Amino acid sequence: MLTSEGLEEIEATRAEEPSARHALLTALRVTQRERHKVGPEEIEYIAGLLGLSPAIVEGVARFYDQITASPTGQHIVRVCGGITCYLSQSDRVAQDLKGFLGIADGEETSPDGEFTVRLVECIGDCDHAPAGMLDDRFVGPLDERALRTISER
Amino acid sequence: MADFLTRHTKDPAQKKLDTARGRGAYEGFRRALAMSRQEVVAEIDASGLRGRGGAGFPTGRKWSFIHAKEGQSVYLLCNADESEPGTFKDHHLMTFDPHLVLEGVAVGAYAIGAHRAYIYLRGEYASIAETLAAALREATAAGIIGQSCLGSGYDLSVGLQLGAGAYICGEETGLIQSLEGKRAYPRVRPPFPAVHGFLREPTVVNNVETLACAARIMAEGAEAFARLGTRQSAGTKLISVSGAVERPGVYEVEMGYPLMQFLSHEAGGISGGRRLKAIIPGGTSVPVLTAEEAAPLTIDYESMLSAGTMLGSGGMIVFGDGTSMPHALLRIAEFYAHESCGECTPCREGTGWMAWVLRRLLAGEGRPGDLGLLLRVGDNIEGRTICGLGDASVQPVRSFIRKFRQEFEALAPLPVAFPAWQLHGHGPRTGRFGPPVEEAAQSQPVEGPPDYVL
Repeated sequence: MLTSEGLEEIEATRAEEPSARHALLTALRVTQRERHKVGPEEIEYIAGLLGLSPAIVEGVARFYDQITASPTGQHIVRVCGGITCYLSQSDRVAQDLKGFLGIADGEETSPDGEFTVRLVECIGDCDHAPAGMLDDRFVGPLDERALRTISER
Repeated sequence: MADFLTRHTKDPAQKKLDTARGRGAYEGFRRALAMSRQEVVAEIDASGLRGRGGAGFPTGRKWSFIHAKEGQSVYLLCNADESEPGTFKDHHLMTFDPHLVLEGVAVGAYAIGAHRAYIYLRGEYASIAETLAAALREATAAGIIGQSCLGSGYDLSVGLQLGAGAYICGEETGLIQSLEGKRAYPRVRPPFPAVHGFLREPTVVNNVETLACAARIMAEGAEAFARLGTRQSAGTKLISVSGAVERPGVYEVEMGYPLMQFLSHEAGGISGGRRLKAIIPGGTSVPVLTAEEAAPLTIDYESMLSAGTMLGSGGMIVFGDGTSMPHALLRIAEFYAHESCGECTPCREGTGWMAWVLRRLLAGEGRPGDLGLLLRVGDNIEGRTICGLGDASVQPVRSFIRKFRQEFEALAPLPVAFPAWQLHGHGPRTGRFGPPVEEAAQSQPVEGPPDYVL
């Protein structure tokens, strides 16, 4: 289910920490990165991998925003909706970006499964308002140029 | 501008160990290692350093609470979760001077007798975690961190953990829970982390900037830090300013620096030639200030406190005139409703109610007494939750409504009736369930529909 690189990352954390439970957050992050979701299948898999109950894995998975039950696109664009970015109209930026990427109203992911656009809470890059992230990279301010760079990716 | 912490953050080469060491990196740690643990704690105590994450608790005192029994392990956790809206100072510090942060972690760990430390970063800071990991590899290879740090015989290993998107992980016990691979439900205190923390062992949780200060204090001496700032607020503070200013960014200022001077000089003035309307000085969890209130203040703990607000994290959010305060408040209220972890009922339900009532007011569907209802919901959250998130969620609601009352009244159907005690703040409270009796009796008579419609 996971790449050998991903498995190594989880194993390395597990080896360093006092118990398997401590590697759970890392396992969830790695799985989300590689599978773009942590649904029932992934939960069973992680539970088996770490020797934890699936209920525990699911309980933790559903607590964290970046771990999603339904699949996201290959790339995820986070548009900051924090107060500073909101005042620079980031909600409209998110709308524009969705338009660029052909994401329908009420949807988050483009039909080709390439991009997910999500308006999120403050990402801690307020001096680049309206701030945003493309996967793990900060790409704010989300001006027209940044939007084009994202959509060309 | 001060440069106690940020002397070298403008140079990209500062990330490299060689460059950083050439400028004195890890000399503070070396000096600490030559001292006893108690001496290091005393030195930090003497410097007057207070926690930079928001609460402002004296760091030396926090460290002195650690008394490990035989066979116990002690842990130092560096809180790099930085999720308070408007706050991005640690982002800046870790990105541009990762070795200073690692040195701070090493100094803190040594001072409390920890041999294992963790830096817990919010999930969005994955790229910063890579910067720190690279710095950690360099420091380990150079024998600074690891077995027998700098040849002293003191062992320390440092782990990096990324979160996965939850504001509550920045709350110290929430952070501990998350680090243990659990839902980040804060723990009831006591017992405090100093007694039962990570793995139920004695634990200290310090903010990134606090630890960076500690490293610099060990390098320069307590006196160099204490000399800066004011009597109750020693040293410097990183201010991350954003919103309606010409030059948003992170600036280091000496404590006691005039707020208006900061806005006009460092931050470049209010953007677009507008006038200042309001400032949130320390992240959304502290009460907002009107332009008038902010004018005489200085950037330090006591000045902010005198105006009924807090320096908090130093996440300063500036509002220019023309900003709709009800809309801004709704966005803030939605943040808390979203980020309430759900452990305590008053916060889980109350934050949702506050956002919901604000939303209906802004949709033109407000009901008589809605402003009073908002304030009462806040009163019913405050002081009734395990952690500070609930209390924090109330501060913006209460202060925005009181200080920009006309804007809110314009939204609410008349008559806007809410008792005087809610408008003017609490006197000494007599109990947990309402205003002091004598004040309640003096409340304005309510005309029209009842005050609270639930």
